[in-house]
Parts: sequence; C-alpha cells; structure tokens
Amino acid sequence: MSLAMAFYKKEDESASGLSSYYNNKTTIIQEARVFNESPISPRKCRALLTRIVYLLYVGENFNTQEATTLFFGATKLFQHKDAALRQAVYLAIKELATTAENVMMLTSSIQKDMQPNAEVIYRPNAIRALCHIIDPSMAQGVERFFKAAIVDRNPSISSASLISAYHMFPQAKDVVKRWVNEAQEAVNIKTGGYFGSSVTGGGFFGGGSQSNAQTVPSSSNITQYHALGLLYLIRQQDRMAVTKMIQQLGGGKSGSGTTLKNAMALCMLIRYAAKVMEEDPNVQRQMVELLEGWLRHKSDMVNFEAARVLCEMKNVTPAQLTKSIAVLQLFLSSPKPVLKFAATRTLAALAVTHPSNVAACNVDLESLITDQNRSVATYAITTLLKTGNEASVDRLIKQITGFMSEISDEFKVIIVDAIRSLCLKFPAKHAAMLTFLSGVLRDEGGYDFKRAVVEAIFDMIKFISECKEQALSHLCEFIEDCEFTKLSVRILHLLGIEGPKASQPAKFIRFIYNRVVLENAPVRAAAVSSLAKFGLNSNDEALNQSVGVLLNRCLDDVDDEVRDRAAMYLKVFKKQTLVEPYVKEDSVLSLAALESKLVAYVKDPAASAQAFDVSGIPKISRAQAAAEAARPSSLDTIGVPSTQTGSSAAPPPTAAETQSAYAEQLAAVPSFEPYGAVLNSSTRLAELSESETEYQVTCVKHIFKEHVVFQFNVSNTIPDTVLEQVTVAMATSEDSGLTQDFILPIPSLTATSSPGITYVSFTRDVPTDYATASFPCTLQFVSKELDPTTGEPEEEGYEDEYQLEEVELSAGGDYIVPSYASFGSEWDRMKGGPSVTETFGLGAAVDSLKAACDSIIEVLNMEPLGGTESPTSSSVHTLQLSGLVTGGGGKVLVRCRMTFSQGVGVTLELGVRAEHQDVCQLVVNAVGG
Amino acid sequence: MSGFFTSFFQWLSGIFFLKSAEIAIVGLQASGKTSFVNVIGSGQWSEDVVPTVGFIFRKVRKGNVTLKIWDVAGQPKFRSMWERYCHGVDAIVFIVDSADPEKFNTARFELHQLLSQSALGGVPLLVLGNKNDLDGHVPVKELIRDLQLDKITDRPVSCYSCSMKSQHNLDIVLQWLSGRSH
Repeated sequence: MSLAMAFYKKEDESASGLSSYYNNKTTIIQEARVFNESPISPRKCRALLTRIVYLLYVGENFNTQEATTLFFGATKLFQHKDAALRQAVYLAIKELATTAENVMMLTSSIQKDMQPNAEVIYRPNAIRALCHIIDPSMAQGVERFFKAAIVDRNPSISSASLISAYHMFPQAKDVVKRWVNEAQEAVNIKTGGYFGSSVTGGGFFGGGSQSNAQTVPSSSNITQYHALGLLYLIRQQDRMAVTKMIQQLGGGKSGSGTTLKNAMALCMLIRYAAKVMEEDPNVQRQMVELLEGWLRHKSDMVNFEAARVLCEMKNVTPAQLTKSIAVLQLFLSSPKPVLKFAATRTLAALAVTHPSNVAACNVDLESLITDQNRSVATYAITTLLKTGNEASVDRLIKQITGFMSEISDEFKVIIVDAIRSLCLKFPAKHAAMLTFLSGVLRDEGGYDFKRAVVEAIFDMIKFISECKEQALSHLCEFIEDCEFTKLSVRILHLLGIEGPKASQPAKFIRFIYNRVVLENAPVRAAAVSSLAKFGLNSNDEALNQSVGVLLNRCLDDVDDEVRDRAAMYLKVFKKQTLVEPYVKEDSVLSLAALESKLVAYVKDPAASAQAFDVSGIPKISRAQAAAEAARPSSLDTIGVPSTQTGSSAAPPPTAAETQSAYAEQLAAVPSFEPYGAVLNSSTRLAELSESETEYQVTCVKHIFKEHVVFQFNVSNTIPDTVLEQVTVAMATSEDSGLTQDFILPIPSLTATSSPGITYVSFTRDVPTDYATASFPCTLQFVSKELDPTTGEPEEEGYEDEYQLEEVELSAGGDYIVPSYASFGSEWDRMKGGPSVTETFGLGAAVDSLKAACDSIIEVLNMEPLGGTESPTSSSVHTLQLSGLVTGGGGKVLVRCRMTFSQGVGVTLELGVRAEHQDVCQLVVNAVGG
Repeated sequence: MSGFFTSFFQWLSGIFFLKSAEIAIVGLQASGKTSFVNVIGSGQWSEDVVPTVGFIFRKVRKGNVTLKIWDVAGQPKFRSMWERYCHGVDAIVFIVDSADPEKFNTARFELHQLLSQSALGGVPLLVLGNKNDLDGHVPVKELIRDLQLDKITDRPVSCYSCSMKSQHNLDIVLQWLSGRSH
C-alpha cells in the first residue's frame, strides 16, 4: 500500500516535470516537423497544435520568425480532411495570425472552406479565422459571401460571420456598413426557425454519407447578441439610429413585445439604452419606461442589468429607484452568490448618493455581513457603514476587524475608504476609527492598501483636530517600519508641517532622526527637511539647538541631496531673513507653466547660451497648487466601484495647459520658427462674431520677442459650401508700432474641417516697447458651393467678405499675466525701483467699489492678493495686484487706493511699482486709456 | 461482361496499387495555374478565374494515382513563399504564359531563383508553356532557350507546350505527373 502511494507520488512529480518539458517553446518548434510528415498523423498534429495554443494562452511569446514558421507549418495541414484537426488548425492560426508574417497567404484556402459546399464544421471556423488574416482591401471581395452567411439558417455560421464582420469593421468600415440589413435580419430571426428548416438546409447535410461531424444546433439565440453588437458598432455614431433601434427591439412599454430572446442581447440593449440616456436627457423618460419593463423580465441577468442602469442614472429621483431597489433586495436573499455579489456591489455604489433609499435593504444586508463569501460581506458592510447611524458604527467596525485579514487588498481599500468617509460623517466616533486604522496599518498589505490607510489618517488630521496628535504618533510608529519610500516621504512632510504645532514637538524628533540614521536617501532627505522645519518654526531655544546639532551630523551623509538640504537649512538657521522666502514662503511656481517654458528652452538650441530665467514664470499660491493637484479621491466618490471612471469628463484644461498647446501648434508652422519661443498667448478667446452666425471667428494673440502673431480660428457652419483662401484682413494705423509681415490663409474650409486656423504676423518695430493698438478686421474668402451628389466643389466661386469685431492688443492679457506674490514684502522691496502714482476719477458709470475692482482686474489681468478683490467697506478700499510682464519685463505690483462717494463715483489712486519704467507707463495707460 | 471485368479489375488494382504524388504548381500570375488544377480536377475550364490569394490545396485522383496539389499564388508578393510549398514535393510544375513573351525574363529570373534553393535540389521540374491555342504563342524550342532550361543540370527537366482551354497535350502532362508517383 505504502509502496503504491510512493509510486503514485513519484508519477505525479514526473508528470509535472514532463509537462514543463513538453510545453516548452523550443521543444514545440522542434516538433513542428510533424506538420511536414507524409502521411499526416491528425492525432499527433492536434496534440501539438493544442500545446501551441496552450503556450500562447499562458503568455509565452513567440517572435515573428517562430510564429511564421509555426503558422506556415500549420497551413500544410489543410491537405488533411479530419474535421477535428481542421478545427485545431483554425484555433492555432487565429492565435498566431497577430505575430506571424504574410498571414494573408491563407486567404484563398480559408475562402474555399467557407463555401456552402464545404463541410459544415469547417464553415464557421473558417469564417471566424478569416477576419484575422484578411487584408482590409479584400473585404470588398468577400462582401457577397458575407451577406449570404449572415442570414444563413445555421446559427453557428450566422454568428461566425457576424463576429468576423465585427472584427473587420475597424479596417473596412465602408464595406461592413453595407451589411446592416442582413444584420438586422439576423437580429429578428425567429426562434426555432432553424429546427424547422434544417431538413431542407441542403448545405448542412449536403455532405450526406461521409460527413459524420454534425454541429449541434444551439437554441440559445446567441446570434441575436452578435447581430446586435454589429448593428450597434455600425450605428454608434448616429444617436438617432441607436435610439430607434432600442425602441424597435425593446418591444414597447412592458418589454413583452421584444423579439430578442437572448438574455445577453437584452443586457447589451440595456447598456446601449443607458448610454443614449446619458448623452441625450430628452429620451430619458421613454428609456426609463423600457427599463422598468425589463425589471420584470424572466431572466435574472436582464433584471439586474436594468436595475443597475436605473441606479446609476444621472439625476435619478428616489421614486424612480424604488422598483429597482426592490429587485436588488430580492437578489440579496438569493442562494446564488453571483446575484448577491452583484446586488451588494450596486447598492454599495448607490449608498453614496442615496443612503436613505438603500436603507430599506438594511435588514437583508445585516444578514449578509457573515456571508461566507467575503466579497459579498465586504460590500454589505461598506453599504451599511454608509446607510447606518452612529450607534451601529462600533459594532460594524468590530465585525470588519474580524475578517480584515481574510480579504484581498482591493476590498481592504474599499473598506478603508468607507471608514474614511465615515470619520467625517461622525467625527464623534473618531477614536474607534483611528484605532481601527492604526490597527490595519500594522497588518500585512500592498502599497495601494497602505496608501489608502495613510490618506484616511491624513484626512482625519486635516478635518478632526482632536485626534491630530494621536494620529501623528500612529504615523510616527508606522514609519519606523515602513517599506514604502513614497509613503514615508509623505508622512515626514506632514510631520514637518503639523509636528511643530503640537503641544510637545520634541517627541516627534526622535522618530524623524531615526529615519536619518536608518533609511534610504530619499527618506533621509525628507527627514532632514522635516527636522529643519521643527527648528525654524518653534521659539524653543533648546529645541532649536538640538535640531542644529542633528542637522550638522547630516552634513556627513553619503548622499548629495541630504547634505545639500542640511547645509541649506543650517544657513537659513544662521540668517533669519532667509526663513521667510525659503521655509515660510506660501507661493510656488506654476508647474505647468514652468514645464512648458522648460520644454521650449530645451528645444531651442540658441537659448542655451543663456541660463534659464525663472523669473518669467508666474507664481501661484499653495492653496491654488493644491487645488490643481487635487486628489480625485475626494470624499464624495469614496467606496464607489470604479465602473464610471471612463465616462467622467476630463477637467477643463488650465491656462498653462492651453498655453503649451498653443506653443505646440505654433511650433508646427515653419514660418514662425525664426521667431523663437512664444512669450505669451492670451488665455481668453476673443469672440469676433456673434455665436449664431454662418462664420464664427475667435482670436488668440501670441507675443514673440520681436513679433506679434494673431491666430484666427474660423468655423464655417454652412454644410454645402466650401470657403477657399480664407484670410483675415487687419487694418493697421501708422503709429501702432507694428508692421504686418505676412498672412497664412486657410486653403479650404468646409463645415467638417472647421475650425481652421489662419495666422497674421506683425513685427514689433521697437521690441522693447509694449505696442498697444486696436485693429478693425474683415474675414475674406472665396465661397464655392458643393455639388450635393459628388461632394466636389464647383469650378466658379465668388469672392466675399464678412465684417468682424475689432481686435485689441492691450496691456492686460497680452503683456501682463497674473502671478502670485506676498504683496507686503515685495511692495517694500521694490520701493527704490521705477514707480508711478496717478489719480483718476472713474466717472459715474462705475457705481461701486466692487465694480471698480472687477474692471481693473479685467483690464490689467493681474492677480488680486489677500482677498482684496472684494471690498469690505463701501467707501474706502485698497486693491493689491501682482503680475509678470512677458519677455523679461519682470514683476509688476499695483496698489489701487479707492474711495467712493455718492454722486462723485469712484476716485482711484493708482500706484505702480515695476522693474522698468515703461512697464509702469503701460499699466497707467491701460487704466487711464 | 468483359467491360465489367475490366472496370472491376481497374478498381481492384486501384486499391492494391494505389500510388500518390505531391506536386507544387508555381508561375507568374495569370499564367493558368488555377485553371490547370481545375481542368485536371474536374475537367472544367472557365474564362474568369479569381486570382488566388496565398495558396489552394487540392486532391485529385487519376486512375490509381492520387495527386496532392499545392496551387500557389503568382503575384509578386507571394513569390517569396513558393519555396515553402515546394518543400518535400515529388515534382515542381512551372507554368508560363507562352503567348506573352514579354514576361519571359521575369519568369526565368523567378524560376532560377527558386531552383537555386539548396533544399529543392534534385526535385524534378516540369515547365508548361500554356495558352498554345492563342496566335503568336512561342514554340517549345524557343521557350527552352528563353528560360535557359538547358542550363539546369541537377534534376530531370521536361518542357511541353499545352493549352488548358483546348486541353491540348494534357494527356502527356498527366502521364509525366503519374510517372513521379510512388
């Protein structure tokens, strides 16, 4: 007995050893000789093909040459008729087709197998393989065949051709689009139609005596699913057509009239309905009616899909939710784990926005907490955390702690995120939650999980001041044994900011200095910065001294960065005036602007003769920077399964991003190459036409060192005309200081190619002057009608022009950009430089201090500082502005002291301090002019 | 009665003396390769044959000989693939459009290129000057000269003039092919 067991064991081992030997790429390529043997052994070849497919499946890579050898080896097997072998050949060539070369070699052979007189088992396999090897240009050639195959009575052939068409669509759009009627017919195919007609289906039993390989007709109606997929693919650009399709196939209000028998097809239809609804709110009502009908469908899958779409709908009302929640509630008590999982997952997402509606399921969810499927239990608990009240929190947390070690990292993250939002909802419970979080922080886990916990604790520190010290000491303990450099650095940074404000800053120092001794270079550097902040931010002399001692030790570090930081901070210690700009400075460079300028600097070889000038980069305050880099995982999205991330719109581009986009556009125009880097592009699009007119024009101004380029974006909204030689004529006056160089016209502009861009370039006669002017503009073009049948423009056109609004080149927006500064200190520092002070009366049109502030900010396009853009008093106000002048003009500060009295209006005393006298004049002229 | 016996005997000898040959058919495009397969396979000739993409495999039985035929496409992009399908065959059939002498240069180049592959050494070659029903076709002698068939010394070479349309000379071609069976 024991012998037998030992034998078995041995055989097991050798089997696993053998399998790795058999399934080894080199062996297989060697053995591919069997493909060339004569006569062919179907059994051997099938076994080898299986192993090839297996290897591809487990992720083995064949290089082009290997794949090609195997591919052509496999094509030799077409000489054998064995049906099972042929299927295996098709499987293998489909997999190899992506890497092998010259795969279209097989086209004719496959087409022979697709013919109606071929054996029935060959046909679907051949059709499916065709789309992997066909050249797009040959799609036309198979059109007649496909049209017949899509409506074939045999569902496997019909499905195969639909799928093949689906895959060919991206390469051969125009051809596949013509098969839409056949696809429509395939969707509407009657159930059982195949059974009834199979006797007469000559192609099917045609082989008769010899063909013993018969396909088993499927009764699942899966063809409808495939046909629907193809129909949608063809029509997806046309929302009206999709809506019509959904209504046709949806089968009326109750959903009972639908011709779709296949549940998966119905699920797809529901998803399309969801998409249509999201894009066009007008159809929402009809779609909701359809969806509610499907809630009563006999298939669980369809019920769930409809319920989920209703729950995820935009602006869903509580009343609309009742029915779908009832369906989901039913699923909660189902014996099938899949249904339970699906329902809890959907409810967990819904609980974020509609906790009170989900609360109806609380009883059922409670019973799922102990479900043996941990994923279900996790979602149940996170849902309850969101719907529950304060009293149940402790109990739920205890429950979670019980199985935290049994679930995967992803679910741990979900739970931590739920706790994070809970902290802010019930701040009174922070003690229990902090204990929980610090507990799980000690558990095993990957980076994502640890980061979620750390961020949750960060949030608690930020929003719940009572737990600050407690949380900081938990973090201190965590970094004692933290394997993730990124997290250690973030925690050290936070300690540097929050630690000095604590009651006993000294106790954190030990933890931080330990990092200097024990950790890798990035962490040591972060620890040095953190230490220094303790010294610089406290008034405790003893602490300052000990920090100094510790920093001195860091001067011997092996890493440059650590030594540099230590040296810099020691210097700051000695010279207190440096503290302000280096440690307490609350503005940072605008990173996006810095990046685009640096890219321009690196690309321009001539620029490298001079050092990069950082003073030309606008600054923003830390609050703005934080808002720009805001983590998307803000509190409202927590715990939502990330199904919708793809559909959410991208945030609008920031000013700096638009600037760098313009810079790229300009760099693509060779005529502007000698101009050098663009100094500034106006951020606002100036509208030069009414928004409803035939021709819409907007203008952007680009300032170069010695040139100004006006970019006109022209849109032609008339569908059947083409505009040729489109230009904008700008009338210049003698004394503007600008000379027109050239115009780059748009050669041809149709409604589909709109908007097009035409440029007008000027030279700045005296580059150091800030030339300001306004230009009357006219759009000029040759208009030609398009022939509706051919789409070709007519021979003869007529010249036409179109009056536009004036374009202004002014101080604000073109020469001055907003930049953050600490006004008080900067204003004093620039006392000795050029300055101008003038007094204006703003007249009766400006009827309040607020209006005056708004118009000055708009005219000058400068950054208001310290909240001075909204006056607190109604009679006296001081507005502080800061900006940067493009082209090395340096900083400019403006102080506007204003008084307001009824009848007189606003009186303004404008004080300007800048680095150049002409900048001061520019600002005064802009306000006065 | 004797007719019955004869056919019965043929059937019997077909079972006992069944032989087979594997042949590869190559040549420039539109020289009549697929037509050749169609004619010997089903006896049908047709004016319009779709250009072959890649290759087509056909099995044809003539008497007691089974011919396995690789009909390979002749367009330039497929010519590098000829060699793959000539591997291990019993004979290579090279078809030339004998009514189109302008293409002889290309045909000669491609043929000698193929035969220079060391793996194909010794494989018998049959060159067919097709379309001899057309006026102005080149006779066999000139074909041999233009294709420099006399310079091929390492294998048996035959050259016939024939026509798929009129089925002229097809019997001797089939005889030659049967001679390669084993």
